Order: sequence, then C-alpha cells, then structure tokens
Amino acid sequence: MRVTGENTSLWRYRTLSVIFASVALLIIAQIIRIQVSPQAEVFRQQGDIYAGEWRLVEPARGMIYDRWGHVLASNKTVYEIGVELKDVRNPETIALTLMGVLKADYNEIFAAASRDYSEDLESPSVYAVLARNVTVEQKERIESLMEDLENQNYKPDKDKPAPSLRGLVFHPHLVRTYPENELASNIIGFVNSEGNGFGVEKKFNDLLAGAPERVWVPLDPNRVEETQKVPDGASLVLTIDREIQTAMEEVLDEALQDTGADGGSIIVMDPESGEVLAMATTPRIDLNDFGNYSEVFPPSTPFNRAVSQSYEPGSVFKVLTMAAGLDSGAVTPGTTFIDTGVFEIGGVYIYNWNSGAWGQQDMLGCMQHSLNVCLAWVASELGADRFYSYMQAFGFGHLTGIEMAGEDPGRLKLPGDYDWYDADLGTNAFGQGISVTPLQMAAAISSVANDGKMMAPHIVRSLINNDRQYNTTPQIVGTPITSETARTLSEMLAISLETESSDALVEGYRVSGKTGTAEIPTPYGYTSNQTNASFVGWGPVEDAKFLVYVWLEKPETSIWGSVVAAPVFREAVERLVILMNIPPDGVRQDLGQAFNP
Amino acid sequence: MESVRRLTQAYSLAPWRKQLQVIVFFLLILVLFALVAGIYLNVSARAVTLGHEIQNLQNDIEDYERSIADLETQLALLRSTSAMEERASDMGFRPAGPDDITYLSVPGYLGRQEAVLAPPPGPSAVGATVISPAYTESLIDWLKDTVFYPSGLLSEVMP
Repeated sequence: MRVTGENTSLWRYRTLSVIFASVALLIIAQIIRIQVSPQAEVFRQQGDIYAGEWRLVEPARGMIYDRWGHVLASNKTVYEIGVELKDVRNPETIALTLMGVLKADYNEIFAAASRDYSEDLESPSVYAVLARNVTVEQKERIESLMEDLENQNYKPDKDKPAPSLRGLVFHPHLVRTYPENELASNIIGFVNSEGNGFGVEKKFNDLLAGAPERVWVPLDPNRVEETQKVPDGASLVLTIDREIQTAMEEVLDEALQDTGADGGSIIVMDPESGEVLAMATTPRIDLNDFGNYSEVFPPSTPFNRAVSQSYEPGSVFKVLTMAAGLDSGAVTPGTTFIDTGVFEIGGVYIYNWNSGAWGQQDMLGCMQHSLNVCLAWVASELGADRFYSYMQAFGFGHLTGIEMAGEDPGRLKLPGDYDWYDADLGTNAFGQGISVTPLQMAAAISSVANDGKMMAPHIVRSLINNDRQYNTTPQIVGTPITSETARTLSEMLAISLETESSDALVEGYRVSGKTGTAEIPTPYGYTSNQTNASFVGWGPVEDAKFLVYVWLEKPETSIWGSVVAAPVFREAVERLVILMNIPPDGVRQDLGQAFNP
Repeated sequence: MESVRRLTQAYSLAPWRKQLQVIVFFLLILVLFALVAGIYLNVSARAVTLGHEIQNLQNDIEDYERSIADLETQLALLRSTSAMEERASDMGFRPAGPDDITYLSVPGYLGRQEAVLAPPPGPSAVGATVISPAYTESLIDWLKDTVFYPSGLLSEVMP
C-alpha cells in the first residue's frame, strides 16, 4: 500500500510538473511566435506611436528693448485648440461653444470635430485643429463651460447626444506681443506667418526667431531621456530712447495736425556715435494688430518714410554743397558773390526762391537767405567732378546700412549717367534733381555736426545671444570734410539762424540749422504747388549732442520750411534737451564741466 | 557483490529525502527567480516613477518658461509709456518744463547708464564648480582621491 501511495504521489507531481512546464513553454513559444510573426512589425509600429514623438520646437522669439532696457517687443502665451477625435461626444456643442467664444465659423468647426477617428497608420485621423491664437481669457472661459457641462447630469437620449465638450484639448505656445502698441512701430516692424515683414523684426528675423529644431520627446516613461534644450532666439537692444521716441511722435502728430501735411518724419541722431535716438514717422500701426496693415498703409505708402521713401530734399542740401565748397577751398566764408537773381548752367536758368536778386552776398548771406543762384554758382566753382566726389563721400546713392528692412538707396545722378545733364550740377546744389531719404540726409549732415566725421547710422545697440551681451561699436563711415570746415559751417549756420531770428531758435541753447523747401516733381516737371518742407539742425553748437531732421510732406498751411518745419524743430529740441539732460549753454558754462547726457 | 549492494543500500538516500531535495531545489530556484523578478519590478517601477517625474518636470519647465514670458509682458505693460504717464498724471505729476529743472554737478556721477541685460562675452567658466564632487563622483573615484590625494581631507581640518 505504501509503495502504491508513493507511486501515485510521484505520478501526480510529474503530471503537475509536465502541465506547468507545458504552460510555461507555451507562453515562451507564443512570445517567440509574436516576435517573429509577420504582425510583429505592426505591433512595433503601434508601440512606437506611444513611445514618443518627434516635436518641432520653436524657440521663444528674442525680446526687443530700448536703450534703457524697456521692453518694446515680448512674447505671451496663447493656445491652439484642437479635438482628440476619439473622445468627441457632441461636435455640435463644440461648434456652438467656439462660435460663441471665439466668433469662429460654426460649419468649419463642426466639420472638423465630426471627422471619423482612425488609427490607420497610412492616414491616421486622431486629432484636428479647431482654432489658433486663443487668448488665456478665452481658453479659461471654454474650460469653465467644459466643467459646467461635466457637472450637469443630462438624461441620455438615443436621438440626441447630451451636450458635451469632451475631446477639446489646449496646446499652449508663445506669440509676439508689443506692450507699447504703436510706439516706434515703424522701427520695430513685424513678421507675418509667411516670413514677410518690415523693420528690425524683419531685418533680424533669423536671429530673433532662433533655429527651430525637431526633438524626440519620449512618452514612454521607461525611455525617458533629457529633452534637447533649444536655445531661445537672440534679443536686441535698440539705440532708441523710448521717452524721446514718444515725444517725437507727439511733436510730429501735432505738426501734421497744425500744418495739414500728408505725412512726415522726425529723426533724432547722436552725431558722435551715429545712434538713432528716435525715428518718428507716419502713418503708424498698432503692431498687435498688424493684420490691418493694408488699411493703414495704402499702396505706395512706405512702412517707414525715414528710410524707405526718397525725395528731393531742397535747400537743406545746401549745407552739403557749402560744406564741399568750403572744404575744397573753392569758396571761403568771406567769398563774395553778386546775386543778379539768375544763374545759367548747362543751358538752364536757376532762380532764387523768391525770384529776386539779392546783390552782393558773402557765403554766410547765401546760406542765411538760402539763395539757389549762389549755391549753384558754388557748385560750378567746385566743378562736377569735385562736387559729386563730395556727394558720394557723404553717402548719397548708397544704402546707409541701417539695420532695418526696406531701405531705399535714393539716386544720385553722376556725370556719365544717361540722364545726367550739366544743368543737374546747378539744381543738385540746392537739393533738386537728387533723390535721398531723410536718414541719408541726417547721416550726411551729422558729419558737419561731428567735426567732419561721418558715423554710420545704426539702430541696434546690443545683441544678446546665449546669455551674453554683444555691444555694437560706432563705425566711422568716412571724413568727407575737415573738422575746421565742419566748425566753420556750424558757426555760419548758427549765426544765420540767429540773424534771421528763426522760428527754430531754442531759448538757452545755441543751435545750427538750415531750412529746406523743395518743389515736388510731377511727370510734367515742377508744376505742382506742393512742397516738401524740411529743417535740419543740431546743437549745442560747441559740442553737438543731437541732430534733428524734420520733414513734412505737402504741408497745407504754408509751403515754406521756415514757416512749418522750423517751429517743429524748436518744439522737438525743447523737449529733447530735457529728456537728454542737456543743461542750457549758460548753465553748462557756469558749471564748467563736460556733461555726459 | 552482496557487500557492495549492502554498502550502496546503506549510503543511498531514502526516496522521500530525494523528493525533498528536488522540492527544495525547485523552491530555491523559484525563490531566486521571484527575488530577481521582484528586484527587477522594483527597479523598473522606480525607473518609471522617475521617468514620470522627469516628464512632469520637463512640462513644468515649459510651463514656467511660458509663465515667465507672460509675467515679463505683464510687467512691460504696467511699465509702458502710456501706463506710466497715466499713473504719473493720476498722482498729480506733470511733464517738467525748462523752468522746473535745476542742474547740479555731482562729482563721480556718470549719468544714466544704458541697459546691461547680460554679461559681456568672455570665457564661460562661471558655475563650473558650483556642484560639489560629492554629488557626481563615484565611490571608486572618492576612494582613489582619498587614498592618493589625502590633502583634500586634511585641508578641511586645517585652521
């Protein structure tokens, strides 16, 4: 009996062992079969779907600051709203909600949310985008509605599904925002989704935007690895002073209102460094709403007149003609000229602005009374070669290289060009028949204010990349005139303003300057009564800290620069000296110190 | 032969002992397997938990970066020209005119300085030794350093 019992137990053990071993072997065999079966690749692909994803990471766009660190362009969070098609319960509720909150198109939303869910590897349909650039407030409102609907118990109805916003998902990302709205909009510019744009944003788009990278983001916790950090875009510090820019835009807007001008520009430069402290132009646009660009800027209206619109500058150009005359030795301040009221050059007769004859004049008188005849004579004394050599040295006909998109090089006709005539030497001398931008004029004349050294105008002061700040260095473009010529001419123009009791004079500060009134050419010649009125001035004369260029296009109250542009210069400088902490001349001499405003 | 058979019988194990040996051996393997499986599960579970934490932390980093950008923008809005002018006006301030200003010479004052938002270019060694080696070196490294370069330990007790 005992032996029989032992045999029975052994048999049972063996049977159990065989069963367990068989099951284990079956499991192992099944595992191996799955691994090597034709379906294994499908399983692997399905596994990979959930293991992670390739994601295009757009770096945060770099910031833009003014010279003191005030933010001009930054980023804010918005959301992309989409639906996980698998989770959608009621597309109608989703469409109605988004129509109500986002003013979205009902049919489009309904169609997108009603798409069939499919995990087909060839053409998966698991997610649909419903709206982009949804603000935080809108997103919170939708979330609140979602919560309300979830908390309400609707009775199930076979014909009509219960209202539900299930399936909606929110994906946050950063977009550009401009805290100052319209301020300096013509300088900052924008870039649209197609990569087109204006201003600094466009010029430095590659740097600001950074380099988007595709990174692998593991979703399987077993396969977590450090996500590759995509560096943010570089930030820019501009030379612009926010307060000065605000003041100049206010001054310009008032000037346009007072004079009825079509448009205008005011440029404020530091002649010593070439830094642009302000560049106010019209029209301006709220950069947060650049979608209405075409409404604000009708066709042929440049985004920034100061750099993108060339025009005939008129008498402000005489500063440069006289600079060339003095520097070359063709004339001296004491050289006399008998103005008979007309000067013939290249078969064309040049007349003065009032068609009068001013008799004997020295060079100071020629500038003071802005005599076309005299300046045409000065140019003829220089000769075409020397005159145009100087004008090229002043940078005309070339881009200034300012870091903004859409700069216009203007046009300086040269002897030998198909459309250059001898008469052009005479007309160019007083700023007609030549095409320049306000910035080119400001940059050229800044050489007179800066002891003959012409600095490259620039608007970017620093670039911040990888947590390092790289400052730009002022660049000398050239020295078109000597410091002696520059000082002599500055003094002549200061005396000229003082003698004329010009509207440009600023109480307490000695400034140099020149008015300009340019006829606007039409296809039939100078037949229009409309003008471009300008004024360029700088100060303090002894050590210029600022240069202000004013241009008003087609003023209505008066055609003369001395009447409409000179007061604008005064108003601008009165505010500028306070903002730049420049004491009046008397105070500065009393304190006996060099100031560093 | 008889003596051999007797000796073999005398030293051979009883059948129940053989079964016990087999069962113990099987159980030992089972326990070992369970132990390895348990350790594997434990390590895997911890790795997965840490993986989840890393994923959450990476999401947190992205959230914080967006939050920082939003706060910077809010601050910029609060400090924008129009907002500052409005606040100043509400507080009774008005723009200063030429007659409101008195200029003083302050020796040593360099005037308002332009924005410095980041350090200038230079060697990027900053922070290279912020993390103590105790957090990064292996036990072998520590032993090696301690045995061959004991000056580090001595320096800690030197006055």
